[in-house]
Amino acid sequence: MRKLMVGAFYNPHLGRELAAGTGIDHLAMADPPRGDDPWWPAIRERYTLLLHDYLGQLSEPLDETAIQRARSLAALYRTPWVAEHFQCLHTEDGTYNLNYVFPPLYTEEFLDRFVANANALKVRLDQPLVMENIPGFFDVAASRIPEALWLRRFFERTAVGFLLDLPHIWLEAHYHDVNPRSFLSDFPLERVVEVHVAGVEADRDLEGPWIAPTAPSDAMLDFMVHAVGRCPEVRAVTFDAFSPTLTSDVLFSSVARIRGALGN
Amino acid sequence: MSDREVQDSLIRALADAPFRASPEWRQRELANEDRLDRFARFLARHYYYERLVQFYRYSRALARITGRGPEAVLAGPAFDRLLPTIVLGSRDSGLAVAELATTHLASGRTSAIRYHDDLLQYQRAMMVVESGARLWREGAAVEAPDPRRSLPVKVEGTMLLELRHDLPAVLPLLLREWTEVPDAPERPTTLLIARSAHARVSVARTTTTIATVLELADGSKSLDDLARGAGLPPADLEATLQGLVEIGAVRLSTGS
Repeated sequence: MRKLMVGAFYNPHLGRELAAGTGIDHLAMADPPRGDDPWWPAIRERYTLLLHDYLGQLSEPLDETAIQRARSLAALYRTPWVAEHFQCLHTEDGTYNLNYVFPPLYTEEFLDRFVANANALKVRLDQPLVMENIPGFFDVAASRIPEALWLRRFFERTAVGFLLDLPHIWLEAHYHDVNPRSFLSDFPLERVVEVHVAGVEADRDLEGPWIAPTAPSDAMLDFMVHAVGRCPEVRAVTFDAFSPTLTSDVLFSSVARIRGALGN
Repeated sequence: MSDREVQDSLIRALADAPFRASPEWRQRELANEDRLDRFARFLARHYYYERLVQFYRYSRALARITGRGPEAVLAGPAFDRLLPTIVLGSRDSGLAVAELATTHLASGRTSAIRYHDDLLQYQRAMMVVESGARLWREGAAVEAPDPRRSLPVKVEGTMLLELRHDLPAVLPLLLREWTEVPDAPERPTTLLIARSAHARVSVARTTTTIATVLELADGSKSLDDLARGAGLPPADLEATLQGLVEIGAVRLSTGS
């Protein structure tokens, strides 16, 4: 198997351990560094950093201030690519906000919106743009195009990269009672630049599994190996856990297990 | 109805529990109601987890002394009882969750922390001030009103906190490594907590003069009235107002 970067998310409460740790090639940055983070200078010096989901939702055009902030963060991190989500989580007027990933309706109107805004964004960035898939816990009657087809058409019209979140695929397959590998096969894997892997745990509200700051299971790692083998352009695999309850043991051991499963 | 409007109604249904229970929503049959309800409860717990972890981070740092972490309230029956009333991001819901956390934390082992009451008051204020609708886009630049022809108005939600201890002196110490609980000087301290339209929360030490300006800024008084009331030269008042506008504590109304 080819050499991939294997990394994790920067969790500031684990700054000391990450600043001194080994076995991690890169850190994805979900939030800008805090001014009072004593470990940030060492982290920036030591790691390849990935700018992740700074701008929010591409269902609306991005304003100049937001783009300038993203550009300056991308320069600060020296990020090889900029990742955003296929999400639409606040209302257009700003009154309601879910503060968590939530997919758009998979329709022609939303496809046009995301294509136009992604194309407008990518020409403003000095790094390639990649977009991450978002899971739906329930089906919406108004969503008329299968997600995998919608994503395929998006990538054809934008030529941006695909950040494949495997647990998101796994969860959707679980809640639709289909085989994850079959479900995955419809997605445009030839576009994948980065893969996310995570652990899942039972959630009391969902009465089923969801992403949690825990180690990926053996089954999830097998799924990762299966997926990576079908992504010819993939360059990085990231342990996707960003939570104040994440422990350094879980972070480092998960990255090591990912690396081991990939034969890296 | 556009697809964007349909998406907005879905987002509202997930965020706004009373709307989700209304016939207006139910009759639309956009999604499986059981699944949507479950996801909405999940989102509510997640939403307030993020806020409690952020705004009550000093209490989290003290948890090994107090035996209480703020996020524990989200797993309790009191939060479950709130769920049918919660509107994510609303000031009422933010206040209700902050009250749950404050009550829970106050019942911990706090005797070694002299300033604990002040700390709870501060964290509660931060969480409540942050709540409310926000702007997501900067929007087109608009010309700022001329302060000399405007009527300053205190922005709704802006808070002045009267504390018995100098809390800003101890807060950074709580987030570092410590073996003995850091102490705060006993010194009356007034803090101004305000939020910008983009939901950025600012905290500033304040003076009696600034507190007076805020008290007088009710949208009916001119700059001259405020300057006289606060005992400030007009130039100083303009500079003070400029700072208050920048952090979102005051807006300048041009009247109707």
